[in-house]
Order: sequence, then C-alpha cells, then structure tokens
Amino acid sequence: MTWINEFPQMGDEQLRALRQTIDGAFRTFSRNYGEALERLFDPLRDLLMFSERLLTQSPWLAVIGVIALIAWLASRSPKIVIGTVLTLLAIGYFGMWEDTMKTISMIFVSTLLALALGLPIGTAMSRWDSLQKSVNPALDVMQTMPSFVYLIPVVMLLGIGRVAGMIAVVVYAIPPVIRFTNLGIRLVNKDLLEAADAFGASTWQKMTQVQLPLALPTIMAGVNQTIMLSLAMVVIAAMIGVQGLGQPVLKSIANQYFTMGMLNGLAIVGIAIIFDRISQTYGKRLQKHLEVVHG
Amino acid sequence: MSHSIHLKLAFLGAALALSACGKPEVTPLNSTLTEAPAVQACGRITVANMNWQSAEVLAHIDKIILTRGYGCEVELVPGDTMPTLTSMMEKGEPDVAPEAWINAVRQPLDAAVASGRLHYAAQALKEGGIEGWWIPKYIADANPGIKTIDDALLRPDLFPSTESKGKGAIYNGPAGWNAQLTTANAFKAWGAAEKGFVLVDSGSAAGLDGSIAKAYERQQGWLGYYWAPTSILGKYDMVKLDAGVPFNKAAFETCNTKIDCANPVKSDWPKAEVFTVVTERFKKAGGPAYGYLVQRSWDNDTVNGLLAWMSDNQAMGEDGAMHFIRNQPALWTTWVSPEAAAKIKASL
Repeated sequence: MTWINEFPQMGDEQLRALRQTIDGAFRTFSRNYGEALERLFDPLRDLLMFSERLLTQSPWLAVIGVIALIAWLASRSPKIVIGTVLTLLAIGYFGMWEDTMKTISMIFVSTLLALALGLPIGTAMSRWDSLQKSVNPALDVMQTMPSFVYLIPVVMLLGIGRVAGMIAVVVYAIPPVIRFTNLGIRLVNKDLLEAADAFGASTWQKMTQVQLPLALPTIMAGVNQTIMLSLAMVVIAAMIGVQGLGQPVLKSIANQYFTMGMLNGLAIVGIAIIFDRISQTYGKRLQKHLEVVHG
Repeated sequence: MSHSIHLKLAFLGAALALSACGKPEVTPLNSTLTEAPAVQACGRITVANMNWQSAEVLAHIDKIILTRGYGCEVELVPGDTMPTLTSMMEKGEPDVAPEAWINAVRQPLDAAVASGRLHYAAQALKEGGIEGWWIPKYIADANPGIKTIDDALLRPDLFPSTESKGKGAIYNGPAGWNAQLTTANAFKAWGAAEKGFVLVDSGSAAGLDGSIAKAYERQQGWLGYYWAPTSILGKYDMVKLDAGVPFNKAAFETCNTKIDCANPVKSDWPKAEVFTVVTERFKKAGGPAYGYLVQRSWDNDTVNGLLAWMSDNQAMGEDGAMHFIRNQPALWTTWVSPEAAAKIKASL
C-alpha cells in the first residue's frame, strides 16, 4: 500500500529520458533554424538600436524638450509637464541619464510591439467567443510563468541582448492590452450598434467608427498597464544582457551598494510615474471628450 | 515537526501512566530521547547553497554527510558570494559557506578571520579556481595562430557581435561579480575597443551560459570571461587564452579589481583560492562535524566530471551529490571519521 503514502510518480529513468528527449529536440531545432529565426528578428533589432541611438546621442535638452512636448500634447496639464521635466533633470543630475534613456527606448519599442500585436488580437477576441476562450488561458500562462523558464530557450535561439530581452518584456506586458481591448469593445452599448446597423454601416465601418473609438478609454487603461508591466521587467531583462537601469540594479544587489540600488530603483519609479500620469490623463481626456458628444 | 509530536505523545503517555497507576513508567520518554545527545552534538546548522553548479553540488554533499554521518539538522539557504559572505561577517549567518571564492572579498574576510568571527576550513577546491578569457575549441583548432588574448584581439571577424555590426564581441562576466570588473578592466588594458571589439554585458550567469550554448550549438565564434570548474566546461570543449603576461599582484589588487580603476594594466588572472568558510558559532558547536569540513577538499577533474554527469543527466545538486556519494566512496571516506562513514554507508 505504498502508493497511499507515496505519490505513484513516473519512474526516474523515464522522466529523465523525457527531459533529455525534449531538450535534445530543442537543441536540434536551435541548430537548424536558429540562424533563420535570428534573421527574422533583424528588423526589430535595428529598430531597437535606432531608437536607442536616437535617445542617447541626441542632445539632452532636445530629448527633454520632446518628452515635455509629448507630455503636454497628451495631458494638457502644466503640472504633469513640470513634474516630467523635473524628474528627468534629477535623473540626469544623479548620473543616470544614459541608462535611463536606454530603458526608455526599450520600453518604447516594447510598448509599440505590444500594441501592434495586442490591438488586433484583442479586437479579434471580441468578435469571436471561441477565440476568446482559447486565448485567455494563454494570457494567464504568459503572466504567471516565471520569465527565466522561457528566457533561456529564447537566449539559445537569439543570443543574449536586446531582442531576447524585448521578447521577455512583451510576453509579460502584452496581456493587459489584449484583455482591455477585448473588454472595451464588448462593453460598447448594443443600442449604438443597432443605430449603426440602421444607418447601413458595414462590419468594418462599425468596428473602426463606432466600436474602437468608444472603446478607446478602456484600451488606454490597458496601454497604461502594459507600460507599467514592461517597466517591472527591466531588471529581469537586464539578466540576459539588456542595457539600461537594470544593470546597475543587478550590480548593487550583488555587491550590496545600497545607495546605488536605491537611486536606480527610484529612476525606474520616476519614469514609471511619468508614463503612468501621461497615459492616464490622456485616457481621461478621451473619455471627457466622448461624454460631451454623447452626453 | 514529527519529532516534537512524538515528544508530546511521549510526555502525554508518561503523564497518563503516572496518574493512572502512580508508578513511574518512563520507558517511552527515554526511548524518544536516546537520539537527542547525538543531535545536540551538532545541532541545527545553515549551509549556504551558492547559485553556481559546483557550489550547489558541494552544499548538497555537505548536507548529506552532515545529516547522515554527524546527525546535524542541515538547512540549505540560497546564496551568492557577496551577500552570503557579508551576512556571515556581519551577522554570523549562515554557518557554512562550502565554496567561497574569496579573492574578491579578501580584505574584509581576513579581518573577520583575524578577529575570530569566521574561520577558514578546508581549501574546497584543491587546485583553486581558474578564471580568464576562453574561446571554443573548434575556433582554436581552425585558427592555430590564436594562443593568447592579443592573438584573438587581432581577429574581431571571428567573434562577431550581433548588435554592433562589423565589431567583435567580448562577453563580460555576470553583473555584480568581481569578474565583471576584472574583465572590463582587462578590456581597457588590452585596448580591445581600438581593435574593433565591444564589451557585451551578460547580465547573469544564466545569460552567459546561454550565450555559450547558443554559439556552440551553431559552431559560431565566442570570446569572453569564464571560469573552471564548471559544467559548461565539462560539456563544451573550451580553450583558455593565455594572457601572455604573468599575474601582476600589485596592479590587480589595487586597480584591476576596482570599479574606478584609471589605468588598468595587462595582468593574468590569479588562481582563485576557494575555501570553505565557517562561523565561530559552528566551529565551537559543530564538534566532529567541523572536523569533516576541515578535511573536505577535491580537485577540478573530479568536479568537472561530476558536473558533466549532472548536465548529461539533467541532474540537480541533490542528485549529483547522491551520485557522488554512491560512486566515489574512496574519496569521501577520507574526509569523514570511520563511524560517520559507516553511518552514511548504512543509510544508502
């Protein structure tokens, strides 16, 4: 009756054979197709390098000016613009300008990629229930699977550095965009859709002119979450060689440089707050505008 | 847990027996306590389980031997060189660091040893650890001219960087390791940037291993920092580049290991001294168990072989330790007392 006290587990030998077979298959795959996959990601790598060079090599005054302008256009709030400029000045003053720019570049490209993939997937999920049922568990896996579990295979395929890091960031940060896009479109009032039908709108017209605009505030909330989650991945991404604020954080963890860790941590918090406030107020402004029209 | 329950039951039983017939019936109490003196001889100890493979397997071997041979209650706590040794110096916890690469923390550690808070037990790796810049064997075979770091730096085309087109890449040690500083300073000292190389931060040991595995599976060029004994070197054939210069002790200790080293000079890496470090508390309380840690020392071939077996079989530290204990009694029985050896063998 040992099986009552001890779980009747698979034999050690079979388990080991299973692990070896799967690992071996992956290695063969990496040997045969790794090169081609790497080529496939070349455009993304170039985009990452380009945006990083743009941010790190432009004069700092110009970079702050552009970010302040974006903050103003999105939020129309002097308070947020001043806060943004002061935060960036403080970051630069404490000698973290270059690392911060590298991190912002990474977050920027990751967010763009997350949007480019997430919006269509979310929209498709809102149209087909069966797709929603199959995508949702996948999103759960992406948000809970410990990153290193899939990072090492990714490193085997693409090497360490920015591209592998970006994949890690996007996998972790994309679920909110997908979920909120899906939710936002599903929450659009059925009466409005009937009205659109009555005017003879095609499916495409309904989607682009009624559903998506009305869902925009909800989608913005998803974008906001995506940015926050990608910032949370900065340190993990640094563990596979991504440049930026994560590197000094890792160094200070290993060497117990308390102040250095704190300063870099605070810089991550600083840009998180900037991005959060800007995207939130933009979302709110969208909502206000819509309320005036339909209210 | 089960111990304390047994104890409580025993007390309960004894109390019931006493109250029931008024005659002290203490045998159950005694029988539970017979083991107690042996446990107290060693007691509860914490052993640092460092986050690289050779240290992990050594920590598990210590756990098996200390538990089965000396009746200690061993708890493994995850660790890393700097945090663990700092914690041992400041707080006296954990009790044992089985494989401490002490070159980077020499000064504070020597001070702690001089003041009696910590003690060096055995030299865990008899021959010491070897650090330096390595290249894959197939690159060395295809280019027999490459023997030293200088030779390799003439050929950035053999070690192409993925992110900086047209440049060679040198992979740096994991973030926060002393190796990251020594490699960055060697990069400067050898003028690698002028020779068309970029320094690539690997971020973590996992990242560094991943980059080697990727290069090896596709037979690509790879140049960077690595160290022995490791399973990567057991699994993938790598060649260490000769520094071409001897170890410059003064420069290495005052400048090459520092973050703000203005003028790093070319220097070979010193042979890393790898000790088992124990706390004063454990030295006093451990008794014969401390005697074991003073004896326990192995050579790089044994370690490389064991680590390669682990890699081939996807074994964890625990499996590797059991494999070692089962298959190499000739070695480990020289570390322990005959009684302990008998106990461990009986437990297998």
